[in-house]
Amino acid sequence: MISRKVFALFFLSILCFQTASAQELSRSTESALAWLTKMANAPRQYNYAGTFVYYADSHMETSYIAHKTDASGERERIEVLDGMPRIVFRNNDEMKCYLPESRKIYTEKRWFRKFFPDFMPQPVENIDDNYLVKEIKRERIANREAQVLMLIPRDSLRYGHQFWIDVDTGLLLKVSVVQGNDVIEQFSFAQLRVDHDIEVGEVTPDQAMVSGEWKTTNLIAAILNKNELRWEITHLPAGFKKLVEMKRNLTEKTTLVDHIALSDGLATVSVFIEPIAKDAPAPVPGFFSSRGAINIYVRTLDGNKITTVGEVPVETIKLIGDSVIRQN
Amino acid sequence: MKNIVSELMDGELDRQNVMHILEAIKKDRELQEEWKTYHLIGDTLRQSSRLSMNISSSINRKLKAEPTILSPAVSSHRNESSSSSNDRKQKYKVFAFSIAASVIAMISGGVIMNHLYEPRQMMVAEQSIQDHSFSATPIMVSTPPTIHRYAHPPVEINDYLFVHREFSPGITMRGHVTNINSVPEYHERYGR
Repeated sequence: MISRKVFALFFLSILCFQTASAQELSRSTESALAWLTKMANAPRQYNYAGTFVYYADSHMETSYIAHKTDASGERERIEVLDGMPRIVFRNNDEMKCYLPESRKIYTEKRWFRKFFPDFMPQPVENIDDNYLVKEIKRERIANREAQVLMLIPRDSLRYGHQFWIDVDTGLLLKVSVVQGNDVIEQFSFAQLRVDHDIEVGEVTPDQAMVSGEWKTTNLIAAILNKNELRWEITHLPAGFKKLVEMKRNLTEKTTLVDHIALSDGLATVSVFIEPIAKDAPAPVPGFFSSRGAINIYVRTLDGNKITTVGEVPVETIKLIGDSVIRQN
Repeated sequence: MKNIVSELMDGELDRQNVMHILEAIKKDRELQEEWKTYHLIGDTLRQSSRLSMNISSSINRKLKAEPTILSPAVSSHRNESSSSSNDRKQKYKVFAFSIAASVIAMISGGVIMNHLYEPRQMMVAEQSIQDHSFSATPIMVSTPPTIHRYAHPPVEINDYLFVHREFSPGITMRGHVTNINSVPEYHERYGR
């Protein structure tokens, strides 16, 4: 009798494992991907202004955004309202970051821009390779009806995302970055006005602000051709592609830093490589974490410091950082 | 004031009022709790697929506080004559189930290892349509290392974060580096 039970249990277990192993991943539906496309296009179609809240690690920070789009392109003002004042003005691909307390301005050309709610400036076609996109339900956010989308990572190399997309316009109203059941960070509009006139003055620095002495640092970056950089990433994790290779200066450094940017269509990773200065203190190899989804990994190789930064799990950061080699 | 927090959650305030109430929330711990609670209640009422707050730590604390209950000893009311035959049956049961468990464990291990190390090792099974949670999280290659706090993170990392923000949403909001975990500890812990 017992042996029958044992065998029954045995075959049942095998059946369960076979069923689990035979299960194929489904593809995202056209309808779900259409919501993503609508979301990606919305910032280029609508004016909007509102207050949004960033929440991570029990820390809350409020920002104001005004976004104007017209025949001349896109202009934007993002002002962090808590802590050290920071105001970013964007005029198409030109960015100026004002730090009023230290009276510093950082200017830069930006080839990619990802500020909430413009989460997906890149085409969405490859998203389905790395995330299963699902329509979940409708919810109300900032007094607007939102379609909830869930982006489930197809592997452990990236975080999941949940988007709340404005049904009328496609604007992203709220986003949660998640790992398992934990919300790692969250952006959410608390108040939003869409498609009204926005004065040019709202998205450009006013005279009172720019008067007086300011130290301007131009964050120059030189885009390089393929294989022009002396460094190579030998094993890109599944789904990640190289966005750009460049040389750029950092805020307070005189030497240029090599910078490789990678993305899986949603998450981005930057690899910075710079020679270790002889008179500088030895870099501290290790894992660092910033607030929210950002992880950082530092290692050294042949007198160079390799720093990998990105909103991906620490294992992914390590995989990428460890596969950087010098080209022969 | 609590009513205004509720109105904020419902998106019913204009910009001036939003700024005012957010400022008040930041300064008042009680209102911060209120804000969290409204988020939690809102998510629950909406049957949100994800709650806004991580309650796992508090549940863990409660679980740790629970007393450990050991299995009760085999009852002593059985008479001596039946105990030897019962013991034999018990041993046979334990033996049979041990073998079955070992075989299942070996097969499970084989299936899991096969899945982990074949080319599509990172793939995970689709979650059911009804299950809107992320509970079927893909298997991690290994558990992330424990983060330890060090007094002075390297300053240049903030430069890198500043530059990376071009590619990353809202990095200006993310603040500075706070935690560091050393590589030797990672190698020690994970053997690689």
